[in-house]
Amino acid sequence: MSEAILRTEHLTKRFGGLTAVDDLSLSLARGQLHAIIGPNGAGKTTFFNLISGLLPPTSGRVFFDGQDITGLLPHQVSRLGIKRTLQIKSVFNQLTVADNLWVTRQAGKRFLHPFRAASRDVDTRERVDRTLEEIGMTALAGRLAGTLSYGDVALLEIGMALISEPRLLLLDEPTCGMSPAETARAVAKIRELTHKVDIVIIEHDMEVVFEIADDITVLAQGAILASGTPGEISVDERVREAYLGQPEDEDYVSEAENA
Amino acid sequence: MTRRLVVERRLFFVFAAFMLSVPWLIPALASVFWVNVITELLIWSLLAASANLLFGYVGLLSFGQALFFGFGMYGVGIGITQFGLSFWPAFGLGVVSAMAMALVCGIFAVRLTWHYFAIITLVFSLIFYFLALTMKPLTGGDDGINFTLPPTFSFGGTQWSFTSTNFQYFFILATVAACFYLMHLVVRSALGKAFLAIRDNDARASLIGLNVYVLRLVAFVMAGFLAGVAGALFAFFGRYASATYMFYQTSGEAVVWAVVGGVGTLLGPVVGTSLLILLREIVSTHWEHYSLIVGALAIIVVIVAPRGLMGLWRDWFDRSRAREQGETQAVPHTEPRTEP
Repeated sequence: MSEAILRTEHLTKRFGGLTAVDDLSLSLARGQLHAIIGPNGAGKTTFFNLISGLLPPTSGRVFFDGQDITGLLPHQVSRLGIKRTLQIKSVFNQLTVADNLWVTRQAGKRFLHPFRAASRDVDTRERVDRTLEEIGMTALAGRLAGTLSYGDVALLEIGMALISEPRLLLLDEPTCGMSPAETARAVAKIRELTHKVDIVIIEHDMEVVFEIADDITVLAQGAILASGTPGEISVDERVREAYLGQPEDEDYVSEAENA
Repeated sequence: MTRRLVVERRLFFVFAAFMLSVPWLIPALASVFWVNVITELLIWSLLAASANLLFGYVGLLSFGQALFFGFGMYGVGIGITQFGLSFWPAFGLGVVSAMAMALVCGIFAVRLTWHYFAIITLVFSLIFYFLALTMKPLTGGDDGINFTLPPTFSFGGTQWSFTSTNFQYFFILATVAACFYLMHLVVRSALGKAFLAIRDNDARASLIGLNVYVLRLVAFVMAGFLAGVAGALFAFFGRYASATYMFYQTSGEAVVWAVVGGVGTLLGPVVGTSLLILLREIVSTHWEHYSLIVGALAIIVVIVAPRGLMGLWRDWFDRSRAREQGETQAVPHTEPRTEP
């Protein structure tokens, strides 16, 4: 088996007395869409923050494609090809849609030309136009990102992830707060992306997860509760109890038995 | 190109033509005194531009730009009196020492943002203000450094120097214009867009791969350059260097000029500086508390037009334009209704 795209060894993050991520060791294979689910406070976003360098781990290591990336800074991690979106949608509000993509495309470069007009960079401009078409936002190119609808911001974020040609994409609740129509559009887009890039997704919407994920890891209190295919996870008793909750009628039955 | 840009371009040409005709126009209309006011105003707009580059384009509010202005001044003053430098090397020393100071200060300051950044830049400038006051042998302390002006150019027997009001005016106009042109280039370059991205959302900027710390430092040194050039010019203009202009009041004034004119726009600081300095020159001869007016004006602008006078003008133009278009589109609907 080839080297895992993302691997963690005994990854731990403590905030004072709280252990947000607890001795987490996992290995994500290439060419699959991985989903991380878990109840609120399970440490999912902290896990992403540890990988993308926004937080330094208390202990443990992170390997990306075999390379130790523990303790690298966000821009260094980003330049290796790990791109992420944030749970609370975040783009550059005062920049136009096209400029959001433009700056993202340029950000990986070591040298940003200080005196040449940005508009003269034909390669980047063409690439921006192509990405605008891909995410279906050509008509909105000149709009300030801060004036977009929620669903369009999410699409723009995906566009920004795309244009930077990532090797691994970390999506933090991409469909959170979306209308059903917007969710369908985003899910279709993510599905399309899986052909090009490895994706790890944090998602609350179970329908979405079971629809698109090849492989699911369930976190609870910072540790792995279960992992497997959607089929395995959906029948896993522990997951049902800890996360999905006991069906109401069973509660009723068990209560009746104990009575 | 939008209609507003066309109008703005025309206004700019009128402004440029006015600036080029100042040495003839102003003495004819008023007096040579006002030529000097306009010269000084050009220098101060460059300092305001320095505050604007940080606040308007990178999102860092600096209350320490006077420090680099002061280093520009002292570089020139000390270069001429202590090292016996001629015009250009002294100019260079002023600008380079301002940039070096900005680099040292920036290494510490740009780790922070918002009020923390404002405070650390303020503290840095206060430290060096008091140092300049106490290091009498080098800086002249309270008295400052007075020096005789070296000629700017000399070919054979002819010399051009700041003793000619016209030469002084055009030299300062050309230098300030060149600095604004450089800033214009930077703002629309790849680097400029990265600055805007950081101003907007620094966490996101680091996630897309921008090295936020280094880029902020680059911006800080660039702002130091602008302030340093302004300081060096001011030293030549006043024939002296003094710690007075390193005090934080000067930094604060630069911020107010930039904010009133409109941060995040290239020429906003020129507008703000011109307005407030002309106001000062006109009012201060009649009333000593003119800064009350400046303060009131600054408060009004911040409340009514957070994007400054430039922003006010742009909003007004775009709105009236939208209304015009709305009216032309509304015409078909005014046809008399036909009864069935």
